[in-house]
Amino acid sequence: MISFSLWDIVRNLAIGGALTLLLSLVAFVLGGAAGLLVLFARIGKWRVPRAMAQMHIELFQGTPLLLQLFTLFFGLSLFGLDMPAWLAAALGLTLFTSAFLAEIWRGCVEAVPKGQWEASACLAMSYGEQMRHVILPQAMRLAVAPTVGFAVQVVKGTAVTSIIGFAELTKTGSMIANATFQPFLVYSLVALAYFVLCYPLSHYAQSLERKLHAAR
Amino acid sequence: MPLVSTNRLHKFYGKNHVLRGIKLDVEEGEVVTIVGRSGSGKSTLLRTLNGLESIDDGVIEVDGARLDVDHADGDTLRALRQKIGMVFQQFNLFPHLSVGQNVMLAPQVVKKMTNAEREGIARDMLSRVGLAEKFDAFPDQLSGGQQQRVAIARALAMSPKVLLCDEITSALDPELVNEVLNVVRRLAAEGMTLIMVTHEMRFAREVSDKLVFMHEGRIHETGHPQEMFARPATPEFANFIGSLN
Ligand SMILES: Nc1ncnc2c1ncn2[C@@H]1O[C@H](COP(=O)(O)OP(=O)(O)OP(=O)(O)O)[C@@H](O)[C@H]1O
Ligand SMILES: [Mg+2]
Repeated sequence: MISFSLWDIVRNLAIGGALTLLLSLVAFVLGGAAGLLVLFARIGKWRVPRAMAQMHIELFQGTPLLLQLFTLFFGLSLFGLDMPAWLAAALGLTLFTSAFLAEIWRGCVEAVPKGQWEASACLAMSYGEQMRHVILPQAMRLAVAPTVGFAVQVVKGTAVTSIIGFAELTKTGSMIANATFQPFLVYSLVALAYFVLCYPLSHYAQSLERKLHAAR
Repeated sequence: MPLVSTNRLHKFYGKNHVLRGIKLDVEEGEVVTIVGRSGSGKSTLLRTLNGLESIDDGVIEVDGARLDVDHADGDTLRALRQKIGMVFQQFNLFPHLSVGQNVMLAPQVVKKMTNAEREGIARDMLSRVGLAEKFDAFPDQLSGGQQQRVAIARALAMSPKVLLCDEITSALDPELVNEVLNVVRRLAAEGMTLIMVTHEMRFAREVSDKLVFMHEGRIHETGHPQEMFARPATPEFANFIGSLN
C-alpha cells in the first residue's frame, strides 16, 4: 500500500484547488460575457431575441446544475459527441453563470428609476445613448455587490463537476480520501480550501454593499 | 403661425379617455399655464407634447416638427424633442454625473458639440440659474431647489424652443419654492416660450399670458388669467377657483 504524508495530501489538493480556481475564472469570465449578450437580448426591443433570452434564463435557473452537466456530458455523447469532462464542466458552468448574471443584471437595470429614462428621452437621446450614458452606469453600480456575491456561488458550484469526473478540488479530495482512509482529515482540508477561496469574495461583496448603502 | 399647436388630441389609458380632443395653440414667447383638478389630464397633455406618452388621435406640431398617430418613430420623436425641453416635479438629475456633466451630456451625445462648446454652454446656463459655482458638485450635494435649477439649466442647454414644466415646485420645501419660481419668472421675462402646470396660482396669474383650465380631458375654459379669475365663464372653473381658498 502506498502511504500518503500530509504533504502529499496538501500538494494534491492544491492542484485540485488550482483547477477549481481556473474553472471558476473561466466560467465567470465567459459566463459574464455571455450574460451580457443575454441581458441585452432580454431587455431589448426585439421580440424573438427577448423570448430566447427569457427561455435561456428560465431553463438554466429552473433546473439543477447537476442535471445540466449530466445532460451536456452524457446527452451529447449519445449523439456521438464525446466531450471531455473539463469541457463539459466549463461549458455547463458558463451557461449556468450566464443565465444567473443576466437575471441579476436585468434587476439592476430595472432598478434605475423610470425618471432617468424620461429625463434622458426628453433630451432627445436615443435608446443606445440612454443606455450607455445614463442607465448602464447607474445599473453597474448597483450590480457590483450582487455580482461579486454570485462569484462565490460559482466557486462552490464547481464542486458539482466532480460528478462527471473533472478532477477539481472535490474530486481530488474524494480520491485522496479513498486512498488514505482519512476522509475526515481530507474533507476538512477540502472545506478549508473552499473557504479560503470564497471568504475574501463574500467579504468583499459585503463591504461593497455597505459602501453602496452609505453612499445613498 | 403658432410655435406649438395641437389638434384633435386624444389619449386613452385602456378604457380611460384621458384627453378628449385637445386643440391648443401657443405663440412664440407666450407663457401658458394649465390648471385643473387632479386627474383632469394636465400632466398627460404635457407629456404627449414631447412624445413621452403616445397619442391615439390628433397632431402635434412644434416649430415645424410634426408628430401624429402614424408618424411617431424614434427619429420623429427625437426631432420633436430637440425643440422641447422638459422639467419634472422630481428633478430627475443624473446622480452619477456632476452638475456640469448633467448639463453637458445631451449637447455632447445628441448635438455632438466639442468639449469647449459644451462647457461654455453649460457654464452659461448654470450662471443663468445662479449656480455657476456648482459646476463640479454632484446632485446629492445640492438642495432640492438647486437641483431643480440644474434641471432647468440642463433643459436650456439644448436651446429648446419651448420649455414644459410639470409642477416643478411641488416636491420642494416651501422655503425653496421661490428660488425656482424666480428662475422661471426671469425666463418668461426673457421671452422664453413656456407651458407649465402649477398649483402656485398667484405665480400663474402674475406670469401667464394665457390660462388653460382643463376639466375631464378637455380645455374647458381658456383666456387671459386676470380676466378669467375676475369673471369665470363656466361654473366648473368658478368652482375650481372657489376650492383654491
Ligand atoms: N401611466 C398611466 N396609466 C394609466 N392611467 C394613467 C396613467 N397616467 C395617468 N393616468 C390617468 O389619467 C388621468 C389623467 O392623469 P394626469 O396625470 O394627466 O392628471 P393631472 O391633471 O396631471 O393630475 P394631478 O394634478 O394629480 O397631477 C387620471 O385618471 C390618471 O389616473
Ligand atoms: Mg399631474
